[in-house]
Amino acid sequence: MAAPASLAARFRRDGFLFVLLAPALAYFLVFHILPMAGMVIAFQDFRLVGKSKYVGFKHFRTLFTSPAFFAVLANTLILSTMKIVLFFPLPIAFALLVNEVRLKVFRKFVQSVAYLPHFLSWVVIAGIWISFLSPTTGGLNQLSGLVGLPPVDYMTSKAHIRWVLFASETWRSLGWDSIIYLAALMRISPSLYEAAGIDGASSLQKMRFVTLPELFPTMVTVFILNLGFFMNAGFDQVFNMMNDSVISVVDILDTFVYRIGLVNMQYSFSTAASLFKGAIGIVLILSTHLAAKRSTGKGLW
Amino acid sequence: MRVATGSALTERLLRGLIMLLLLVFAAIVLVPMLNLLALSLSDPGRVSEITGLSVLPRGLSLVVYRVLAANPFFMRSILNSVYITAMGTAINLAATAMAAYALTRPTLPLRRLFMVLIIVIMVFEAGIVPEYLVVKRIGLMNSRWAVILYKSVNIYYLIILMRFFEEVPQALLDAARVDGAGHLTVLRRVVLPLSTSAMATLGLFYGVMHWNEYFRAGIYLNDPAKYPLQLILRQFVVLDDTVSLIGSGTLFSYDEAARLSYAALQAGTIVVAMIPVLVLYPLILRYYTHGVMEGGLKE
Repeated sequence: MAAPASLAARFRRDGFLFVLLAPALAYFLVFHILPMAGMVIAFQDFRLVGKSKYVGFKHFRTLFTSPAFFAVLANTLILSTMKIVLFFPLPIAFALLVNEVRLKVFRKFVQSVAYLPHFLSWVVIAGIWISFLSPTTGGLNQLSGLVGLPPVDYMTSKAHIRWVLFASETWRSLGWDSIIYLAALMRISPSLYEAAGIDGASSLQKMRFVTLPELFPTMVTVFILNLGFFMNAGFDQVFNMMNDSVISVVDILDTFVYRIGLVNMQYSFSTAASLFKGAIGIVLILSTHLAAKRSTGKGLW
Repeated sequence: MRVATGSALTERLLRGLIMLLLLVFAAIVLVPMLNLLALSLSDPGRVSEITGLSVLPRGLSLVVYRVLAANPFFMRSILNSVYITAMGTAINLAATAMAAYALTRPTLPLRRLFMVLIIVIMVFEAGIVPEYLVVKRIGLMNSRWAVILYKSVNIYYLIILMRFFEEVPQALLDAARVDGAGHLTVLRRVVLPLSTSAMATLGLFYGVMHWNEYFRAGIYLNDPAKYPLQLILRQFVVLDDTVSLIGSGTLFSYDEAARLSYAALQAGTIVVAMIPVLVLYPLILRYYTHGVMEGGLKE
């Protein structure tokens, strides 16, 4: 089709595309762009009625001199590290194990069970875990009781709660996050294994010299992408699994922003914290985008 | 086969060990869920026999579910969840498909500008307070529409659908356009019929997302009669608040309820909140998971 010369003709032909785009654009405008513009209140003393006064960086100064904020920042970084760095090899291991199973029915069963928790809300998962970890009736304490260990109230123990978050994240995401590796494993050409076999490689050597190098690009991509979201330590999970006894060790930026913003109604101060988080997020995502583009040729977009 | 003859035995032992490990993980996922199901289905008189590791009910009774069904708050919340999920998913699919079609037309004016907008939205989140203030200002407070509309289009799903739409052969689209079909007709008659599995997958993901929503409902809705099930579940199970929502009055006005343990009622609530996901799960597996795997094979 030849491109019509005049603007009017172009509009007649493609103007309707704007109609198709309109609902999504209206949504982006109202629920994304307007709130972004609204972040200006981080530099004001916000008032619901009347005019808000500009106060410059006052709220940021309060933020960066508040010990509570640094505790929250530390929690965020610790939990993110556990969930990104510590968790990282687990789905790879899971995919490698599943890939070794020859019995198709068993394989399908394990996969179907393992992917399920990904689709449950954190409210449901918190309900399941609170029940399973109960010091009196919970399955885990009954199991450890069999070998004579005293019951532990995991949900209210500062020493355990971060590991509860790590374990429940693993419970929810181990299977789901292994899909990308399983897909990569299936793409490995069988001829590579045959060639290695002819060269006399053992199973372990095949794993070391064929499987892992073939998986490596996927590992790099996944790791880099996850780093981009390092400041999101898992709001829904923490929000549903924290309680007053453990808040000091699991309170993360997002729960902090919610509490001081919507519970204590310090709108401007809370937005300043959001802006700080968003700024770091941009830096992280842009640098991971560039890193991904460099190492694999494909960026985030 | 990759089994070297000399080490056939170790190889088989290793495979057995791998299956055992995977079985243990499957049990760790399933046992806590089955335990709650067993608790909710047990005979109220024998609930105390259920341990934290039981997976089968003691006796069989539907009394927990009868009590829940007789609770007006609970039933209302299910209707609210169904309403939010149905309306939300319909809007999601329509808005996402229309936008994905428009954005994949090479002739769309200002296309680059829109793509930049999408990247900005993907990279930067305004945070909850500014969003809350916008919702307040446009008068959506205490309306279920706030909960429905705040995620009308998921950026990542939009990008996935654009990838799909890009694969529709351009010649097919040009042919339809030459025949005089407008953009809407091309979208409905050519592009969508070729993308049914992608649309089905997105519909399932959007649907699960709406069904699982609780947080926006908690901040935007004041009237408990508008609460979705997940929010009731949060109050009742996670916060262990048995009075303010369910109300001791309403709950215990039933003779059978008096004999019930809260634990069994809470377990029943969790099970009900999981049911739609479990019902859709085989479809999800079929469309997404296996689709991805097979897609991987074809490459």
